[in-house]
Amino acid sequence: MIKKTILQTQNLFDNYGQLNGDNDILHYDDKYAKDRGFRGTLGHGLMYTAYVSDVAAKKYGKAWHYKGQLQVKFIAPVCPGDQLTVQIDETGEAECSSQFGKTLVGKALLRE
Amino acid sequence: MTRPSEIKPREGEQEAALFADWIIGDEFPPLTFSITPEIVEEYFSVVNADKMNYLIDGRQAAPPNVIAVYLMAVMYRKYPPQQGGIMIGNTFNFYHPIWADETTEITGTGRLTNKYEKKGRKYICYTVNFHRTDGVHLTSIDHISAFPN
Repeated sequence: MIKKTILQTQNLFDNYGQLNGDNDILHYDDKYAKDRGFRGTLGHGLMYTAYVSDVAAKKYGKAWHYKGQLQVKFIAPVCPGDQLTVQIDETGEAECSSQFGKTLVGKALLRE
Repeated sequence: MTRPSEIKPREGEQEAALFADWIIGDEFPPLTFSITPEIVEEYFSVVNADKMNYLIDGRQAAPPNVIAVYLMAVMYRKYPPQQGGIMIGNTFNFYHPIWADETTEITGTGRLTNKYEKKGRKYICYTVNFHRTDGVHLTSIDHISAFPN
C-alpha cells in the first residue's frame, strides 16, 4: 500500500483554479456552495485525479508514462479542512478518503 | 507558453451551452497549445506532486496528467461552460512522457460521446485525445461531468 495525506485548504483550490483557468463558482464561493447543499467550496476533481496519479507514478515508475491507465470516479465532495488520504493498494485499487468517508474510488493499472 | 486561462472560456463569461445544445457525436475543433517548463513547474506545485516520482532514466518528466489542465478547454471552446458543473469521473490513458525540461507543442481533439439524464442530473460524456504536433500520441481522456441545466 502506498499512501499520502494532504490537508485541503481554500488556498489549494485557488492555486489549482488559477493554473487551469477554472472559474466555476463552486470552487470559491462558500455561500453558493452551502446553498447548493455542500459543506463548503469544492476541490477540483482533476486535482484529486492528479493526487492519485502521483501515487501511481511512484508505484509504477517509467511504465506509468507509457502504459498507465487511471480510472477515477468522484463519489463525495472534498472541502477546505478535510484531511485527505490518497492510497493505492497492491492490486491498483485507488481510493481517496477524508474524515467524512470515501471521496474517490478507482483503479491505477498498466495496460498489457 | 499557453496558460489554460488564455484558451479556456471561463464560466460565466459567455452564454453557456445547455443540455439541449449538446449533440452526441459532435467533434470539437482542434486546439493547439504549448506546455512549457514553467507550466510543468507550477503544476508540480499545485498538485503536491513529488518530482522524484517522475524521473525516467535520469531525465525529469512532467506528471503525465499535467495535460488535464487543458482538457476542458477543448470541449468548452465548442460548448461554453455553465456555472455549477460537477465532475463525475475520468479515465486517463498515458502513452508517452511529457518532458519537464522542454516546451511541448500539443494538439487536442475530441468529441461528445454521450449525454443522459439520471435522478434530475444532466450528464455529459466526452473524449479528448492529445498528440504532440509531430504526431506522438500522449494521452487520451474519457470524461463525465454533470451540469444543472
